[in-house]
Amino acid sequence: MIQFDGVGKHYPTGVAALQDVTLRIESGEFVFLVGPTGSGKSTFLKLVQRIERPTSGRVMVDGVNVGALPPADVPYLRRRLGVVFQEFKLLVDRSVADNVAFAMRVTGVDPIEIAPRVHWALEVVGLAGRAADLPAGLSGGEQQRVGVARAIVNLPRLLLADEPTGNLDPEAAWEIMHLLSAINLRGTTVVVTTHNPTLVDILRRRVVALNGGRIIRDEHRGLYAAAR
Amino acid sequence: MSIEVSTPPRVEADLSRSRAEAPPRWARERVARAILHDALDGLRRNGLMAAAAISTIVVALAVAGGGILASANLMHLASILEGQVEIVAFLRDGLSPADHERVLAAVRALSSVRSATVVNKTAALRRLQRSFGTPSSMSDLLPSNPLPDSIEVRVVDARQVRAVAGMVGRISGVEEVVFGTPVVDRLVALTRAVRAGGTALAALLAAASLLIIVNTIRMTVAARRQEIEIMSLVGATPGFIRGPFMLEGALQGAAAAALTTVLLVAGYASLAARVSTSLPFLPLLAPAAVLPAAVAIVWILATAVGIGGSMIGLRRYLRA
Repeated sequence: MIQFDGVGKHYPTGVAALQDVTLRIESGEFVFLVGPTGSGKSTFLKLVQRIERPTSGRVMVDGVNVGALPPADVPYLRRRLGVVFQEFKLLVDRSVADNVAFAMRVTGVDPIEIAPRVHWALEVVGLAGRAADLPAGLSGGEQQRVGVARAIVNLPRLLLADEPTGNLDPEAAWEIMHLLSAINLRGTTVVVTTHNPTLVDILRRRVVALNGGRIIRDEHRGLYAAAR
Repeated sequence: MSIEVSTPPRVEADLSRSRAEAPPRWARERVARAILHDALDGLRRNGLMAAAAISTIVVALAVAGGGILASANLMHLASILEGQVEIVAFLRDGLSPADHERVLAAVRALSSVRSATVVNKTAALRRLQRSFGTPSSMSDLLPSNPLPDSIEVRVVDARQVRAVAGMVGRISGVEEVVFGTPVVDRLVALTRAVRAGGTALAALLAAASLLIIVNTIRMTVAARRQEIEIMSLVGATPGFIRGPFMLEGALQGAAAAALTTVLLVAGYASLAARVSTSLPFLPLLAPAAVLPAAVAIVWILATAVGIGGSMIGLRRYLRA
């Protein structure tokens, strides 16, 4: 699903965010990307979404060479991805259902199709009963569940979550991780960046650790920190 | 905690479609409808921001429109002043009426001449009597009419008065040509300054309005950057993102232009009416003569800059 071949990303400021990263994530995998702030986790996700281009190497996503993709084709790549953000990024003046529907409407989906799929996505995240509420009326965990519903409503083959539990209490963080695991069980590839050792250590999924822009560890049923 | 992800409802849209495949007509119509819907929805949701933007644009447009009206009137004033410039060609004594006609035809044949009329000595004396306020007594005091026959010439462009006077002076039958040399020179300098000042005023106010409008629209776009960012990240095409914002910019511009039209028309009509009664010597252009052009410029400026401002505002958020 994702293949990085010798990927480097150097910003004009001179910062080397990623250096010679080679990694393969298969379809249907659940991967934690861990590492300290500035280790290159966010840059990794930006390269997958083509928010940034690699300065060296090749990034393949779902069979597409993302770095070489013409700008006009980028939206069609992004329609195959779902993204969950640490800060939720919900539109505060729209209802829960409208926030989820937003991802469908702006990609030109037939309006007839929107309502049933939004209902399905909200059922998956357990918020079908809160469809008409505004985000301000929801807890942090609930807001992030709306973010997850918005990310899955277009049925992505790949779900990227950038610190999805960073702003949540432990209980809400668990709910989000269970949700992402359940989505992964249906075959969606899930890549999660996190600073939360507890979640990583309990779930025991593949862990890719980055430091200074390089992969320092890649374990299939890994822990947050390297085993001593 | 147990979470089960059910099978999603079947959806007809193919999300993996690539740009290379041209969208069918129904899809294009759907996008057009969505853009219109989103533009109206955007204005409704951001009503306060839109109202603030429209108010600011109205002020900017009213200033620009006022500048255009002031400029047009200054140009008009310059034309009127220049129209007063006159050359008087005194004719040799003893010419027959046929000679008068010949000289008149020769004067009128000059390309820079706007009008020329013969004033015979009797008419000249009557005019003199009127200007001194002495009815018929003056002719009684003089043994004969001392005034010569003349031709009064008006030129197309006051700057050409010297050249025209020279050409008229060379026509056979013309004794002497007079025009107020220093006055004409000063007048030409004055009208040139008035014209340049009027143009500069209109250009300056239009440019200032342009900047204000572009910045106002940019601010309305910036206030919604999260919405734009989400649209971009979930795979909305740049055209789909731009469409509603450009339409909103155009609608805001049009709404502001409509309000400005009301202000300009009512304001200028009222000013023209007051001036015509209180200051009748001030040659203000009639509303019908100047308002259509000023209003047209205001509409073009408002809608074009509304769209342009949206595009400029969006540019920084739509870099792929």
